[in-house]
Amino acid sequence: MKKIISLFLGSVVALVISASMAYSAATQVRVAFFLEWATPNQEAKVKKVFDDALGVPVKWTNFATGGEMTEAMLSGDIDISYSQGLTPFVNAVNAKAPIKLVDIAVTYGMGNTTCIVSNASGITKANAAQLEGKKVAVPVGTMADYVFKETMKVVGADAGKVTVVDMNPEDGSAALQNGDVAMACLFGGKSIENALKAGTRMLSVKEATDAGISGIDITSVTNKFLKENPGMVRTFVEITHEYNAKFRAGKSNMNIIAKDAAMDLAGTKKQMGGFGFPDAAEIKSKYMNKGGILMKYLDVMGNMFATAENPALKNYSKVVTTKYLP
Amino acid sequence: MITGFVTFFTIFAVVGAILYGRRLIKTEKSDAVFGNPERAKGGIHWVVVGSSFLLLSWLYYSWDIAKSFYPKSANELCQVAKVNESLLSLKYLFPIVERQHKSTAIIKRENINIEDKIILIKKDSNLKSEDKEIFINILRNTKQMIPSLTDERYIEDDTKNIINELTIRLNQLTKNFPKDSYPDLSEEEENEINEGLNKQLGWGATGMEVPPLPESKIGLKFHAAAAELNSISDEFFEMRNHNPEYLRQSEAIFIEIKEYMDGLEDGLELDYIKDIKKLVRRIEYASIFPPNTLNELENAIRDFDKVQNNEQGNLRIIDIFLFPAGTIVASGPQCSEAGPGRWLPKPSDTFRIFGEMLKPSVGYKMIPMLWYEMMGVNKIIGFILPDWIADIMPGKYPVHNQDGTVDPNFKSKVLDIVTGEFEAFKIPVPTGHIWDSFLRVFLGLTLGIILGVPLGLFMGLNRFAKGFFDPMVELYRPVPPLAWAPLVITVFGIDNLGKVFLLFMVSFSIMIISARAGASGTQLSKIHAAHSLGANKWQIIREVIFPNSLPEILTGIRVAVGMCWGTLVAAEFLAGTTGIGFVENVARKYMQYEVIWITIFVMGMLGLLFDVTIRKIIDKTIPWRGKG
Repeated sequence: MKKIISLFLGSVVALVISASMAYSAATQVRVAFFLEWATPNQEAKVKKVFDDALGVPVKWTNFATGGEMTEAMLSGDIDISYSQGLTPFVNAVNAKAPIKLVDIAVTYGMGNTTCIVSNASGITKANAAQLEGKKVAVPVGTMADYVFKETMKVVGADAGKVTVVDMNPEDGSAALQNGDVAMACLFGGKSIENALKAGTRMLSVKEATDAGISGIDITSVTNKFLKENPGMVRTFVEITHEYNAKFRAGKSNMNIIAKDAAMDLAGTKKQMGGFGFPDAAEIKSKYMNKGGILMKYLDVMGNMFATAENPALKNYSKVVTTKYLP
Repeated sequence: MITGFVTFFTIFAVVGAILYGRRLIKTEKSDAVFGNPERAKGGIHWVVVGSSFLLLSWLYYSWDIAKSFYPKSANELCQVAKVNESLLSLKYLFPIVERQHKSTAIIKRENINIEDKIILIKKDSNLKSEDKEIFINILRNTKQMIPSLTDERYIEDDTKNIINELTIRLNQLTKNFPKDSYPDLSEEEENEINEGLNKQLGWGATGMEVPPLPESKIGLKFHAAAAELNSISDEFFEMRNHNPEYLRQSEAIFIEIKEYMDGLEDGLELDYIKDIKKLVRRIEYASIFPPNTLNELENAIRDFDKVQNNEQGNLRIIDIFLFPAGTIVASGPQCSEAGPGRWLPKPSDTFRIFGEMLKPSVGYKMIPMLWYEMMGVNKIIGFILPDWIADIMPGKYPVHNQDGTVDPNFKSKVLDIVTGEFEAFKIPVPTGHIWDSFLRVFLGLTLGIILGVPLGLFMGLNRFAKGFFDPMVELYRPVPPLAWAPLVITVFGIDNLGKVFLLFMVSFSIMIISARAGASGTQLSKIHAAHSLGANKWQIIREVIFPNSLPEILTGIRVAVGMCWGTLVAAEFLAGTTGIGFVENVARKYMQYEVIWITIFVMGMLGLLFDVTIRKIIDKTIPWRGKG
């Protein structure tokens, strides 16, 4: 019995001590990114430009969804999440996760995140209300979830009456082909390509853009890393923008990017053709300013994904900072 | 309140049960030697201790005890966290949380980086020697530039003044901080805080993790100090040690770089010079100061740290002992729990949210957890009876007549019945997430038993059946059921059919194996005896072999239940609209840790329910188990 008690108390003490030794110097920077989501700074990643410029090694880890990036940031395994979707970021800050938005990584039209309705169902934009009561595959809590809700608003169907099946994009496109679901909302080149074999886009890319639906991926940093190494965050953002400018000038080495993104060259070019990489001035004047695109998005999404336990923040400007833009 | 009561109650229960246990040992007259199973019998009091320990650990590590006994502590610790957060950037400059001065670490690192770069350039055979010379020259100059930042002679008076001023402000704060009169707020500021306080919910209320505005006097002190410290920290980091000497040298370097870059085409040289430029810029950004310039500021920070630690008083002890393995952290004006308080929800919150979710009107994603709905008996009959019954009835379906009506005939009436198109009374039918999961497991299990047991017995008794079915069963049985999941979901769809089939596959193989083992394990003497008494084949199977294999079969069912649960949850992860696994997966995406724990709890309880039921069935049906 005594041994059990001492073991228990010992473990209590050990836990308390380990928690108080949480601080340590940054001997490497740990960055999260996506595969099959090609961005210009992957050239810098391969050429070790980040490692050189930050002065410490950079460890890149790929993730499947932005939500998992947040989980890893909370557990202290990731310092910077590059190209996290805005939806998972909003979910994280609604849950009061100590992370901050420092940069816009990618803006994209609905070519890369979209809802595809099955041809067999006979549903089109005109009679979209028929979707109510039918099944729709949606990866819940991702940008595709946001696109789904916005699309339903545009076509005048009640998203609340649609039966949402929580499926990853790959499964969603398979379910659409099998006729299990009437519509699938997806992201990623391959999934959309497969789904288009059995369906058509609910809204064309242009229609979606006209309706104001578009995607934003952002760079988020843990609060702790931001406090400890503000210079490193600034350098990281600066290099990303440098390579974005290089891409805009058509000077990026697409072969390196394609290889690092685990895609073929044509697919990479096609995907990046649908991406926008706004420069710092544009971000400051159009996106992150008061009433800017990003701030409006944060408000809309914050309320869209709020739950009783994790309500929307009153003011999202507190989780956004332009201090680290070049 | 309730938590406090429960805490005391469980502590009493533990103490009482231990005392009882010790007394029992002394008073009990037992001649059972070590190894005799008699010694493990009884012992409800140890069950009390075990479950109480579980409950206490949960209460303790979820910080519910802290919340119950010191409900204001989170709010006060939040203010302390604000102070710590505002000081964090400054503290990283000094060997307070680190081993080295930040300036020291940066200089050390950059010197190494410069040397590495020089070596790299020297080795690169693709570079022309004149380029190499230029690069190395720039790098050497950069290295020589560092002393301009670290030499006390060069530091500007303006910079010194700012540092002095900040030090004085910090010392002033340290002096005022312990005073009762601190903080001296204007009426406006006070009103603002009071207004916010009126709307502020308590710790752990729905939608409020940690209330951020100071609710107590001591909290207000820290809150005000954090604001002052933030402004000190911001002002410090706006300042750079860019003295004339440094500017002269760095400008020369940048001009050299620019001159070199002008007219340079894309290529290796450009990459090199860009890298070098970044290195120089990095030194420009870094807060490098002469070794002793910041000493007084450092001391001021240390002094303030001491004072604020003292001022925390009891709070420090509460933090250490009642907030195990974590604490409250601040991120700007927001506070949150970091550590187990975050991912291990408090029992009180968990039960509150569970109670809320159990309300049929709330549920999860508009579907109740477990409720009933009124369903007409006609629908059930329509579901059970296959539609082709109507097709095989004599006659033809009626055709509409000239006055635009349809006269039903016998065949169409039968069709109405088999499709459920008739009026009938309604009965309550269970519905909801828990019921859906339960039903899937139950159906998969039942189908597995109904088909698996006869096949297993058959395989145990018949050479053909054994040889014929063995390859099939043995090939698919060892594959983990989840490996089938993507395939099954593609073939059978994302509805119940696919999930039930997956569970059927799980239970089917287990039932075959156990029934087969039971059948072949029957004692030959019993079969011979039945033969001698004139039993036929059917009687032998029913009266001898089946009862003899029942223990194996029922154990198989217990195993199958566990496997089915594991598979079900994962299947619901993959594609789901209802079910416990679906709830957990969605809750994960919204970071609803309470809901995640609720689903885990519900799954445990349902698994236990299944197991206990089967154990009862075992005790009832095969009382001879384990007795020869």
